[in-house]
Amino acid sequence: MESPDKQHRVNLFRPKQGFMRGEVKIMLSILALWGIASFGFQLWLRLSASDGGKSWLESFTFFNLPFHYWFTAQMLPLWFILICILFNILIDRLAEKESRRKEGFYD
Amino acid sequence: MIDAGQKTLPMMIVFAVLLVFVVAGLLYKTRDGSEYGISGRYTGRVGGGAAIASNWMSAASFLGIAGLIYLYGYSALAYVIGWTGGYVLLLVLLAGQLRRFGKYTAPDFIGERYESTAARLLSAIISIIISFIYSVAQFKGIGIVFAWLLGTDYSKGVIIGAVLLMGYIVLSGVMGVARSQKLQYFVLIVTFILPLMFLAYRLGYFWVLPQFGYGAAINTLSTEFGINMTAPFANFGLFHWTALCFTLMFGTAGLPHVLSRFYTVSNVRDARWSVVWGLFFISLIYWSAPAYALFGKLLEARSGMFLPPQVAYKMADVVVLRTALMGGLPSWLVGMLAAGAVSAAFFTVAGLLMTGAASISYDIYYRIINQQASETSRMATAKGATLVLAFLVLLAALNPPGQIAEIAAVAFALAGNTIFPAFLLGIWWSGTNRCGVIAGMLTGLAITFSSPLFGGLLPLLNTIFPLPASALCGAPLVILVMIVVSRFTEPPSAEIQRFLAEEVHGE
Repeated sequence: MESPDKQHRVNLFRPKQGFMRGEVKIMLSILALWGIASFGFQLWLRLSASDGGKSWLESFTFFNLPFHYWFTAQMLPLWFILICILFNILIDRLAEKESRRKEGFYD
Repeated sequence: MIDAGQKTLPMMIVFAVLLVFVVAGLLYKTRDGSEYGISGRYTGRVGGGAAIASNWMSAASFLGIAGLIYLYGYSALAYVIGWTGGYVLLLVLLAGQLRRFGKYTAPDFIGERYESTAARLLSAIISIIISFIYSVAQFKGIGIVFAWLLGTDYSKGVIIGAVLLMGYIVLSGVMGVARSQKLQYFVLIVTFILPLMFLAYRLGYFWVLPQFGYGAAINTLSTEFGINMTAPFANFGLFHWTALCFTLMFGTAGLPHVLSRFYTVSNVRDARWSVVWGLFFISLIYWSAPAYALFGKLLEARSGMFLPPQVAYKMADVVVLRTALMGGLPSWLVGMLAAGAVSAAFFTVAGLLMTGAASISYDIYYRIINQQASETSRMATAKGATLVLAFLVLLAALNPPGQIAEIAAVAFALAGNTIFPAFLLGIWWSGTNRCGVIAGMLTGLAITFSSPLFGGLLPLLNTIFPLPASALCGAPLVILVMIVVSRFTEPPSAEIQRFLAEEVHGE
C-alpha cells in the first residue's frame, strides 16, 4: 500500500538524498565488517578443519593463547570496539560536512 | 556447596560494600541538585559509558560466563561474542535515532511509534516477562553467593539473599538513594580483576595482564592433563554456535533496560560515543572472565579432581568463587569478589524489578485500566508490583532451570524476537504499522517458547528455534511477518511518518 506522503517515507534500503544516504552507506559497511569477522572466522575455522577435526588455525599460539581461541575470545571484542570507533568517526565527519553544506546553502 | 561454615570477614566486606553504595548514593543525591542543576543529568561520554557498563554487568557476566566456559570451553565463547557484538548492532542501527526519537522505555517507544494501546500493552507484557526471566538468573547468582557466605544450602541462601535484596530496595527507595553508576562500575571492575591478578600471581603465571597470562594454563591443561578446553564446536556445532551468538546480539540490541540507557547523555553524538566506552568497559570483564574458568579447571586437575559431568554442571556457576578459594586467596580478597558479584546482581535486579513494576503501574494500570488513577495509587501499584514480582522470581529461582548465563540467554532470545524487530523496523521503515508490529511480536513470543512447548510434537522446531538460540531464524521471520502484515493493512498516520522522516532521520 502506498503511503499518502511520499516525501516522508523512510526505508533503510531506499535512503533519501543527503545525510541519510551517506549514513546508510556507512552503516552497511560497518555491519559487513561486523558480520565477516564474527561469523566468517568461525566458518573458516570449521571449513579448514582436517579429517581429524583439527584446523591449522588451532596449531600455533599467539599472545600466549592458541590462535583461534585468541581471535575469538580477545580479538573479536577488540574488533567490535574498533569498528564502533570507525563508525562514530565516519558519522561525525558526515554530520560536519552536512552542516557545513547547509550553512553555505543558506548564506 | 564449596566449603561449609560461615565466613565472617567476607560477609562483613559484602555488607560494607553495599553500605558504601548507600552512603555514596546519598552524597550523590545532595550534590546532584546544585552541581548539575542547569545541565540536567549530563554525564559525559566516559561517564555515560560507565553507566552503560554498570547497567549491563550482572551475575551473568560476573559468575555466569566463567561458569559456561568451565563447562564448555571454546563453545561458550559464543556468549562473549554475542554480548559484545550486540553493541555494534545497537550503535549502528539504533543508538542515534533512538536518542532523537526521545522515547526510551520499550512500551513508550512502541506505543508512540505505532500509535496503538494494544501494541503498548503487548510490549509492556513482553518487557515484564524479559525482566522476570533475567531476574531469575540474577537470583540464582545471589543464592549461590549467600549460600556460600552463610554456609547453608542453596535454597536458604536464595531466600535470605532475596529478603536482603528487598530490604535494600525499600531502604534505598525510602532514603532516595541515587545510583552512582561510575562508582558502581569501578567497584565491579576492581573486585573482578584484582583477585584474578592475585590468582595468576599465585599460580606463577604472567599476573600483570592475567587476560593473556591464562594462556599458559590452557597449555598446561592440554599437555599435562590432556584436557582440551579450546576445541572449537566440541559442545555445540557451527549452526548452534552461530544461532546462539546471533540471538544474544539481537537480544542485546533489544533488551529494554539496555535501550533505555541513552537518556543520560545530552546529545546524539555523546550517545554514540558513550556506547563505545560502554563496550570497552564491558570487554574488560569479558576478556578476563575465561581466566577464572581455566584457572579453576587447572587447580582441579592439579589436585587430582576430575568431576563427572553432572557434578560439574551443578558446580559451574560457582566456579569463580571456588577458583578463588582453591587458589588460596586471602579471605578479604574472596570477600571482595563476593561483594562484586552481590552488587552486580543486586543493582541489576533492582533496576529490572523497578522497570517491570513501573511498566505494570504506568503502561498497564494507568494507561489502560484506570486513566483517572492518582499519583498515589499509581505509586502504590508500583510498590505492590515490585513485591509480587520479586516473590514470583524467588519461587522460580528456588529451582533454577539451568546455568545463570543460560537462563539470561532466554531473556535475550525473547528480546531479540520481539522488541528488536519492533525497534528496528519502527526506526528504519516508516511503513511498519500497528497491525504489523502486533502480529510480529506475537509471532516472536510464540517462536521463543516454541521448542519447549511444541518441540515434542514437531521436532523440527527444536532444530530451527532451539530454546536459547531461537533468534537467528526467529528474528528474520518476525521481521518478514511485520512487513507482510503492514503491507496489507492501513499505513501509519502521515504525522508519525513525517516525525520519523524529519525528526528522527533529519540531520
